[in-house]
Amino acid sequence: MKTLVYIILGIVLLLIETVISPHVSLDVLKPELGLPIVLYATFFLGARSGLVAAVCIGLAEESLSAAPGGSLLFTTIFIYLIAVVLRRKFFVESKYSFAYLSSASVVVQSLLFLALTFFARGEAHGALNILFYTIPNAIVTGFVSILLFSLIEQLNETFLERS
Amino acid sequence: MAKSYSRVKSGLGSVFGPVLSVASKPVSSVGGFFDSYFNLVGAKKENEELREKYEKLYIENQKLLETERENARLRKLLDFTQKRPNTMIAAGVIGEDLKNWFRCIIIDKGRKQNVREKMPVVTPKGIVGQVVEVDLWHAKVMVLNDTNSSIDVNVEGKNTRGLLEGTGQNTVKLKYVIKNDDIEIGDKLVTSGKDGIYPKGIPAGIVITANRNKAGIFADIDVMPYNNFRQLEEVLLIKK
Repeated sequence: MKTLVYIILGIVLLLIETVISPHVSLDVLKPELGLPIVLYATFFLGARSGLVAAVCIGLAEESLSAAPGGSLLFTTIFIYLIAVVLRRKFFVESKYSFAYLSSASVVVQSLLFLALTFFARGEAHGALNILFYTIPNAIVTGFVSILLFSLIEQLNETFLERS
Repeated sequence: MAKSYSRVKSGLGSVFGPVLSVASKPVSSVGGFFDSYFNLVGAKKENEELREKYEKLYIENQKLLETERENARLRKLLDFTQKRPNTMIAAGVIGEDLKNWFRCIIIDKGRKQNVREKMPVVTPKGIVGQVVEVDLWHAKVMVLNDTNSSIDVNVEGKNTRGLLEGTGQNTVKLKYVIKNDDIEIGDKLVTSGKDGIYPKGIPAGIVITANRNKAGIFADIDVMPYNNFRQLEEVLLIKK
């Protein structure tokens, strides 16, 4: 139930971001809203829930982006796998540690995407562009994931704990 | 008896007189305050009513201005489509790519409306890009300044030809123009029609820098597209 709610929340946020972004003139204000949901599900609900979230969010991102087919799904699942390993070693005790984790995941995603662009010949044009946006994306995502963490916690307290 | 009473009374009056005048000041000011307060209550109410009316009129005015702008935009689109009847599909821009690594817009027309991949997308100002993915109800358009975009263009009125490549930023690069080719700042670029995707003669952009002082045989040329891709609301797809 919780996994489903988080996935729906993630997809709704992605849709809102897609619709709102043409009206925001700053390119750097594009937070990654899918990865924090995958991380939250993996860290707090377990590996199985995390996998379901990673697949669903990855597919949603694919459908809302012109990225080469499968690339965003691949990077999301890769980050999920890293999260599964980190889960036993890294303890998320507050929204701030969650924000660090989300920012780091954005950097990892960019690096993974860069690696993909180098491996897939003909797709390496955007390498500089990806590097250009890595740090701003990570910072903005960090800030947004603080709010997202609070929102999910609020959601848990209000509706989901009872069920 | 009556005389002495009146003396006492006038004595008391002369003592109380100044006291009364001192005491009356704050009271009169309080009285004034109440008067002003009651006046202010009326003024405040009137002010609120006027403000409400002003806000309504302001919103109405904004709506009218927006409608006027939309009207002008749509009229231009209509004029443009009337030049090429039955060759265009009009579409609205409904979103943008989730990642800022790609310059892609999402439009509200898809396979159901006969949108196909590689269809050129334009506005009356000039070229926007090409359709790269088509779903049933919507399609994704790779915009001219995407890093994967390249368009074969000519300099208007000259024989110079080059490849317009996206940089991911607002300006794009005109590549493979030899240093001694005839090109200057302010030259207008139009599609050559030789890339098999874009029809000939659609405006693409204007040359803003032309640097020949660099190594190699090609000049470094920056081009500003005619369209501001972040402010697109309607686009036209050209049927093949």
